[in-house]
Amino acid sequence: MLLDPGMDLTLRPMKYPHFFDRYKDAIKNTWTVEEVDLHSDLADLAKLSPAEQHLVSRLVAFFATGDTIVANNLVLNLYQHINSPEGRLYLSRQLFEEAVHVQFYLNLLDTYVPDLDERAAAFSAVDNIPSIARKAEFCFKWIDSVFELRELKTKADRRAFLLNVICFAACIEGLFFYGAFAYVYFLRSRGVLQGLASGTNWVFRDESMHMAFAFDVVDQVRGEEPDLFDAEMEQQVRDMLADAVECEVQFAADLLEQGVSGMSLGDMREYLQHVADRRLAALGIAPIYGSKNPFAFMELQDVQELSNFFERRVSAYQVGVSGSVTFDDDF
Amino acid sequence: MTLTPEKTTVPGQRRHVMQVRKRNGELAPVDVNKIVTAVERWITGLDEVDPLRVATKTISGLYDGATTEELDKLSIQTAAELIGEEPQYSRLAARLLIDLVSEEVGEQGVTTFSESIALGHQQGLISESTLEFVTKFKDKLDNAIDLGNDLRFEYFGLRTVADRYLLRHPTKRVPIETPQYWLLRVACGLSQTVDEAIGFYRLMSSLAYLPSSPTLFNSGTTHTQMSSCFLVDSPKDELDSIYERYHQVAKLSKFSGGIGIAWSRVRGRGALIRGTNGKSNGIVPFLKTLDAGVAAVNQGGRRKGAACVYLEPWHPDVEEFLELRDNTGEESRRTHNLNLANWIPDEFMRRVEADGDWSLIDPSDAPELPDLFGDEFTEAYRNAEKKAVKTVKARDLYGRMMRTLAQTGNGWMTFKDRSNALSNQTGAPGNTIHLSNLCTEILEVNSDAETAVCNLGSINLGGHTTADGVDWEKLRATVRTAVTFLDRVIDINYYPSDQAAASNPRWRPVGLGLMGLQDAFFTLRLPFDSAEAKELSTRVQEEIFLTALEASATLAEQFGAHPSYPETRAAKGDLHPELWGAPMVQTARWASVKERIAAHGLRNSLLIAIAPTATIASIAGCYECIEPQVSNLFKRETMSGEFLQVNTYLVRELKARGLWTAEIRDAIKRAEGSVQEITELPADVREIFRTAWELPQKALIDLAAARAPFIDQSQSLNLFLSAPTIGKLSSMYLYAWKSGLKTSYYLRSRPATRIQQATTTAAVTKAPVVVVPAQTTTLVANPSGAGQVATLSLNLLGDTDGVLAASLENPDICEACQ
Repeated sequence: MLLDPGMDLTLRPMKYPHFFDRYKDAIKNTWTVEEVDLHSDLADLAKLSPAEQHLVSRLVAFFATGDTIVANNLVLNLYQHINSPEGRLYLSRQLFEEAVHVQFYLNLLDTYVPDLDERAAAFSAVDNIPSIARKAEFCFKWIDSVFELRELKTKADRRAFLLNVICFAACIEGLFFYGAFAYVYFLRSRGVLQGLASGTNWVFRDESMHMAFAFDVVDQVRGEEPDLFDAEMEQQVRDMLADAVECEVQFAADLLEQGVSGMSLGDMREYLQHVADRRLAALGIAPIYGSKNPFAFMELQDVQELSNFFERRVSAYQVGVSGSVTFDDDF
Repeated sequence: MTLTPEKTTVPGQRRHVMQVRKRNGELAPVDVNKIVTAVERWITGLDEVDPLRVATKTISGLYDGATTEELDKLSIQTAAELIGEEPQYSRLAARLLIDLVSEEVGEQGVTTFSESIALGHQQGLISESTLEFVTKFKDKLDNAIDLGNDLRFEYFGLRTVADRYLLRHPTKRVPIETPQYWLLRVACGLSQTVDEAIGFYRLMSSLAYLPSSPTLFNSGTTHTQMSSCFLVDSPKDELDSIYERYHQVAKLSKFSGGIGIAWSRVRGRGALIRGTNGKSNGIVPFLKTLDAGVAAVNQGGRRKGAACVYLEPWHPDVEEFLELRDNTGEESRRTHNLNLANWIPDEFMRRVEADGDWSLIDPSDAPELPDLFGDEFTEAYRNAEKKAVKTVKARDLYGRMMRTLAQTGNGWMTFKDRSNALSNQTGAPGNTIHLSNLCTEILEVNSDAETAVCNLGSINLGGHTTADGVDWEKLRATVRTAVTFLDRVIDINYYPSDQAAASNPRWRPVGLGLMGLQDAFFTLRLPFDSAEAKELSTRVQEEIFLTALEASATLAEQFGAHPSYPETRAAKGDLHPELWGAPMVQTARWASVKERIAAHGLRNSLLIAIAPTATIASIAGCYECIEPQVSNLFKRETMSGEFLQVNTYLVRELKARGLWTAEIRDAIKRAEGSVQEITELPADVREIFRTAWELPQKALIDLAAARAPFIDQSQSLNLFLSAPTIGKLSSMYLYAWKSGLKTSYYLRSRPATRIQQATTTAAVTKAPVVVVPAQTTTLVANPSGAGQVATLSLNLLGDTDGVLAASLENPDICEACQ
């Protein structure tokens, strides 16, 4: 069983080949921070209204620590208890991706915030910006809830661990980050901060795969141990998501405090509720809100891009290519 | 940016009427009816547009105390965001934007075209000669402005025009010309008579033809650099020459040119440097410097500089060259801003086919190689092989080229011998084409002293096609006007480097291209890979080339042949289709034009080149050049933001069948713009609306090869493989070479995995469905072991249909389910 205590080292026969496939797919999406060109962002920042500048400053402060928290939970909890060498391969890969994200946002803040004191303040946002501190508290609560567990022996242990997995997938990567991405894509839809957007696009691509892997783990456990998923657990998940939505709405209230045309707090709340409902649906749980996505620019994120080299770097190419030279393949 | 931690306020439940701040500073309540009325002014002919919807959605995104300017901009944005549902909102958004731009222009006191020119001149933007011309014919020109043509624009095109093409006040940064003033300004900058100017304006304003961006940017202004492409010969194998090239590239780039530069003459790593008795570090460090230089110089503040480096595959550093765009490895050996192309002699391809060896030779040991082509090259290369620095298997190197294409889209395959053998410019010994340009459609001779230059324009074939077919008379008229004005650019143009100024007046090449081929096929309901489509595209190209030759012959009769005409193949009586050995259908006209050329020569050494047209196609609202559609639904990301594009031909088709519904739209979105799984559409319709990813690439190459005899330069031919393998690529490019193509362009591929869609609803599967009780469902790995595994939503609580709904967050998963 996936959540068995122990340290399974056996890759053959492979028990969870779909985890291995995810690992291989992830490698094809390798990108590096150096590929992201932030130079046009600085000119854009100067053009933004004070309200938009406030939004951006809060947002990057959140990014400064967000991925680090995820990486910590991955090492401290997920890697320990997901007892599948294929799964751990994927998690190793995910850890690398989180590191790239951390490096990207480090580079971003160094570029955006030249003043050393302000930069230090941005990195300590979890302590001194209340709307970000509240989100961090939420994360720590769910890290701490399983931190003492060395082995998943009882049903209660296993449920606690699943809640941690679901929290990071559905609430942190699946809601907090999706909220943050919405601001970035909003700005991009207005044609500003292309550097932030192109890096975020790659982060977004990675994060959505992390979330899919975590849901895959949850589904796998549910297939193996259906009785873990009882009404109480379902209610806990719903409460957790509702709490996460509240955290993110108060963050939005801070970001949008000064009024940003095209992104009202009401619309943002609706968007977050819609995303939360989708996460519940992915877990087979009935929606809480029944909200619709009000942001057309988020719909744009679901549509294939057509870039050309005069505008921006094309991000779509594959890293892993196989095969050898022949002359009679179909094309 | 400053970061000031502040107290956050949790949203209160304030409920009062939202207000906007008017231009005079007063606050007024937001009135939905006012917005509705404002929108209603612009909906003539747009019967599917719902003004109330635009108004309410706009208000929903507004914050209390926003300005009326923000309100106006938001309503445009809101309309644009509805395009995916109903393409008519694109026209509405465009009209609202024109209204806003006109208002901004009006606020500068400009109400007529001539006033716009006068203000532009006063601000140092418009040239003296354009001002004089416009002042002289003031009334006639002012009256020529046709505001009705504003209605032709789609939003994306107009947004691009407004953000990047309209001249702006140098300090206030607001536009001083409207879209129609802009096109008339471009026409006046190139005209000698007022009738000519108005005629050219009308052609552009109808969007049936557009010159390329540098002309659209700069015509009529004080800096008239109107050429698109510059082809710089490789620096000589010495330091001074290399640094001179950096300087030249910077100057060319500053004035909006795209640059191709060869590098095959510079010695490779480890070669001896006699002056210091040291060893060379090879070409990579020099290209790294070029990379930084290109990034530093932005093009007139409008877009980043761009350059492509061409290298012949016998160069000792070719393997490192192919890694320059990798995103891993040592950063000091990576050039993220340079494009890369291989300039390949036939001998290499022959050795690949025969699985032979391939010698890497240092140019300092065989300096003659870059200037030779065909048999002469082959002989010289074979002689030089005894001095080889290294020997590799030709197939191994070819495989590396394919890998670079798959991983970066770069490393374009362009063929040196074919490019030279068929060129009109290589009729005399010593004239060699050393490279193509940034977009692989220009092939012109150059040298250390001459940098080749080309100015471009493209005919919108969609604008010449109705359901009855192509309007050939209109097409001919367009070609004649286009050639006249492309030729005109050569004399008025500002040349940023002495080498460019030395070349262009001698050869007078132009590049007349084509866009909207896919539009013509859609209009005529022809599948892209059908025999009829191939025939039509070939005949269109013959018509364009033939008419262009006639027009150039006419110009030669008036103004004389271009000075280097005696060095051309045309001077010997050989025209491009004859060199190709292709059948010519319009025999009488060909015979007649040949007689005229024999008598008076040609004004232009080269006439046809099919450029990618990325920007001007979007302004014209048509598909790019000769390309198939990439998707029925896609977005464009540009410096102006993101824009949804939907195939309006498909929407029309679906509407006619009552199928343009939210469900179908969602299905198309989930399928990433494909309609192949929409079974409600008949097979023949689905065939027409296939995307580039769904077409056999062989057909794209066949179409290109069939039209190629009537293209005396070349064409920017992109190829599309969603999941490229070395096997597919190596087969495809060998086929392209054997088809006689001179060049190819990007290899387009798709992301290995993609972001989970955030907004499509998980489809409720209707039928047939598999009913699986939640308790018994287990999730197993995909039995084939390939691809991804279905993430199934188990635990069917709340699913009243009692059916298993596959999670469609990832469309790949959906396919795997079926």
